[in-house]
Amino acid sequence: MSLLDIQNCTMKFGGLTCVDSLNTHVGKDELVGMIGPNGAGKTTVFNIITGVYNPTGGDVLFKDKSVVPLKPYEVAEIGISRTFQNIRLFQSLSVRDNIRVSFVKSIKAGFFISTFHIGNYLKEEKEIEDKIDELLDIFGLLDVRDEYAVSLPYGEQRKVEIVRALATSPELLLLDEPAAGMNPTEKTELMSLIKMVKDKFKISILLIEHDMKVVMGVCERIIVLDYGKKIAEGNPENIKNDPKVIEAYLGETHH
Amino acid sequence: MKNKLLFLSSLVLVFIINLFAGNIDPYYYTILIYIGINIILASSLNLINGYTGQFSLGHAGFMAIGAYLSVSFSTYFAPFFIDTFGQGVFGNSISFIILLLIGGIAAAIAGIIVGVPSLRLKGDYLAITTLGFAEIIRVIIQSLDVVGASQGFRGAYIFENGMKAAMIPADMSSVPYVFYSVPKYTNFFWTFAFVAIIIFFISNLMSSSYGRGFLAVKDDEVAAESMGVNTTKFKVIAFVSGAFFAGIAGALYGHFNLYINPEDFNFLKSVEIVVMVILGGMGSMVGVIIAAVILTILPEFLRGIAEYRMIIYALLLIIMMLLRPQGLFGVQLRPKKKK
Repeated sequence: MSLLDIQNCTMKFGGLTCVDSLNTHVGKDELVGMIGPNGAGKTTVFNIITGVYNPTGGDVLFKDKSVVPLKPYEVAEIGISRTFQNIRLFQSLSVRDNIRVSFVKSIKAGFFISTFHIGNYLKEEKEIEDKIDELLDIFGLLDVRDEYAVSLPYGEQRKVEIVRALATSPELLLLDEPAAGMNPTEKTELMSLIKMVKDKFKISILLIEHDMKVVMGVCERIIVLDYGKKIAEGNPENIKNDPKVIEAYLGETHH
Repeated sequence: MKNKLLFLSSLVLVFIINLFAGNIDPYYYTILIYIGINIILASSLNLINGYTGQFSLGHAGFMAIGAYLSVSFSTYFAPFFIDTFGQGVFGNSISFIILLLIGGIAAAIAGIIVGVPSLRLKGDYLAITTLGFAEIIRVIIQSLDVVGASQGFRGAYIFENGMKAAMIPADMSSVPYVFYSVPKYTNFFWTFAFVAIIIFFISNLMSSSYGRGFLAVKDDEVAAESMGVNTTKFKVIAFVSGAFFAGIAGALYGHFNLYINPEDFNFLKSVEIVVMVILGGMGSMVGVIIAAVILTILPEFLRGIAEYRMIIYALLLIIMMLLRPQGLFGVQLRPKKKK
């Protein structure tokens, strides 16, 4: 059974078809990459899955339930989390508080308990603190937990975004160009990080990436989009040699 | 725990000061009370504008609702309150708590009615909608004879035949009546007890994990929503709690001034509160409180040039924007990254 099932999904903005009858799936504990030239509709697919857009046709099923009618925060509640192509950290919050926001949805203390600090308030806050520290420790961010998240170096901001997404305890993690703007060393580090996340947290990952080294290095299966259509799908070896993919990326082949 | 102790000890302190408040010169006493009311107003608006980042320009509207409703109850139902709770210190206190809650809850309900549809709007649109709402409230009150319309409201006439009115109708001039003026319930204790309550409320809420939701909504709605924060819910909570405290402030104001006029709650009042929040620094509690104190005292020194008050406010704001855009006590953040 696949965790995420995209069925015949179409997204049109006026006359422009951004995603055209896309059929694909992400299985449990699978690491899938999505690649394609600029404007191929990759981020649009993410926005459809996370409820930002309602597809104009087709359906998206997560654990056999449609996510189409759900709002973005409800999608996060059922276990899909994401990072953003342009880093979107909360700029007035520290690293720790950025991650704390992910716990808002699962917090038992509501408005009144949080106002009067009664009942299990302190115990729950302590639990959240511990979970945050544990996560930050795994990613080596414990030392900077009290800094403003936006004051960190670029690579670490990316990490904070991934930690923040993981803190919502997702079953499916969507990473939107995690390697963008990273130097080769950071990229190598990112690749082992992604593998570690997948194994340690036992989650499925769908990854958008332009960097072929990263995609080919970590993904078990790759989906290639071009002009909103899926032009190829398969393991990295096959994708590398697929003439359609080469054409989409390099133009027509001249030997 | 520390917060609770601080809160309780400040309540005790306020109570003790209140025992000696009789010795304060009435002029300074009035200013003190207005300082308290303005702190409540500015802090409650700070919850909406500062912490949650929704620009509301209609706070005077909520204040008007709180003031008019609680004052109407304390005059039109004066016999009921007197009969039920008596007129001792204890009875008056219970009556006043009920009246304050009536003002606050009425404003909160208005907050829900205005907030739920208009919080879908962003930035300027929300400001315009809330401004429009406050003006609508003022115009409605201005045409409501039952609260004295544009004449203002100072008490209720209860006639022997059971009729009640804010003014003596022409055909009733021969009917005997009892006039119930607005009772002077507001004193130092009640005003600053609510100052302590709102400070306790905001600092507790904002220090909790739950409270981080408000700040997340301000910083980045898209990201907050993707992390499972129901942004609409948080905006409505902030808006409604802000409205609640504005209603309380209105009730305190009505029971201190003993005369309320729709013009007390006009656009300039809303702007005054917004200026306090911006001057103090959006989302900074200490800054907003200090700004509220300064902007209440300042007009007293400028009595001679009172008609230029708004010009001075405007200049103050422009100078602030140029020199300290984050407000007096706001936190300087790194400039936002270019997208």
